[in-house]
Amino acid sequence: MKNKRYILTGVFALAISSLIFVNSSLGKPPLSEEDLKLMNEELINLVKKGDELWHSEKLGTNGLSCANCHPDAANSNPHTFPKFQENVGKVATLREMINWCIQIPLEGKTLPEDSEEMKALEAYSIYMYRGFKLKPGDNQKAYPPVEVKEGAGYP
Amino acid sequence: MKISRRNLFKLSATAGLTAFTASAFSPLVGLVNVAQANPLKSSKVKPFNFAVIGDAHLYEAPNHRFDKTLERAVSDVVKMRPKPDFVVFIGDLANFGKKEELLKGKKILDRLKKAGIPYKIIPGEHDWYLDLGKFWKELFGSPYWSFNHNGVHFIGLNSILVEDYWTAKGMTPWERMLAIAELECHVCGLWGVGEKQIRWLEKDVKNLSPDTPIVIFTHSPLWNYYPRWNFQTKDADAIRQILSKFEKVIAIHGHVHQVVYNRTDNMVHIGNLATSWPWPYPPVELPYPQIVMNRADPGDIYDGVGFATTYIDDTFLGLLKYKEWADLIPKDLKNGISL
Repeated sequence: MKNKRYILTGVFALAISSLIFVNSSLGKPPLSEEDLKLMNEELINLVKKGDELWHSEKLGTNGLSCANCHPDAANSNPHTFPKFQENVGKVATLREMINWCIQIPLEGKTLPEDSEEMKALEAYSIYMYRGFKLKPGDNQKAYPPVEVKEGAGYP
Repeated sequence: MKISRRNLFKLSATAGLTAFTASAFSPLVGLVNVAQANPLKSSKVKPFNFAVIGDAHLYEAPNHRFDKTLERAVSDVVKMRPKPDFVVFIGDLANFGKKEELLKGKKILDRLKKAGIPYKIIPGEHDWYLDLGKFWKELFGSPYWSFNHNGVHFIGLNSILVEDYWTAKGMTPWERMLAIAELECHVCGLWGVGEKQIRWLEKDVKNLSPDTPIVIFTHSPLWNYYPRWNFQTKDADAIRQILSKFEKVIAIHGHVHQVVYNRTDNMVHIGNLATSWPWPYPPVELPYPQIVMNRADPGDIYDGVGFATTYIDDTFLGLLKYKEWADLIPKDLKNGISL
């Protein structure tokens, strides 16, 4: 009998504590559909801006754009960064690599790494590789992006 | 067993390997074939070389990096010994179809003529959509043609004709050009050669016997590779159907800026390198994944690019060698790919 009472008390205590835990994890109400939609729209706007810049010759001086070598962001391999880049001579982030491309093949002026333009270019590249497994350090392979059937390749 | 010239003679005399002897001294002997090519049973080809250059994408700016790579290809061809019988330029001489770009390109290509090497040319979309081919035709004449050389029938087609995507949208000629200058153009649709050229092709090959060796050039591939980037020709099926009566057809295309190979029925297809920049491989499976190029160093303007030479032997076996300036071509393809 005594044992049974202990067990009941234990179960009760567990139930109370799990309630408290659940409550504290839901300290904020869940995001509404509308919130999520707005947040996603903000992201897609940035991706779109990146897409435009990616295809624009204004980043360089010789008429080339990122899209000359990277249609649909192909071979930009954002999921393999950071990695040691021989041409940069150190472990580089995607942003550093983008700046290398602007400076060398495009013969342009590098962007500040925290600029809106840089964030947009990065967003476009990453979005075109959505669903890819992270492989930091992978220097062995060039990866094609998601297969695009129509449109810009994002919603 | 080391095969010397002498015991090769002996071998062929005793075994009566006439077909083998016929090409015994061609560069094709000893080639490790990554994909088996077929000779013609009876052929009257007189062996020769030709070169293919393309996708120069010249910009208007002087001393542009793409001027240098096209100039290098042309001067390499001029230095070739034996001299190639002719050169085919396989489209996209200009980047935005501007007169200045096309004139610059013609001036560089005319160095071939001055060196006694004639050239034929077909257009790419970058040559075409500023004025719908008007100035290109003034400079180079008909965008589709055929000729016979040493027993081989050569055909060139204009494969980049799309349906009007600009009028309804009220696009200016410049906007039309900029749209299609993007490989992943969202509004341009699929291109092809169109009805007129299909009818012309039917007529062109009508009286040729099935054992005629055929080589066909188009800017885009005559098989469905990756339509998203127009790595296709809309009416390729109709073209392949017209050419299906021939024992063997070699199809060479540009546009893809990469090493790529395929076979369909009686045809062998191969992509040419650009002199401008390499395109990545698209997100689809390659039919011959062993025939690919290495990754290029984007810091080296001579990497990832090049041109091709092709030797045609007396049995209509072809040997295409990619001419590179950096370490682009994998070791087992360096001696060429048999066609």
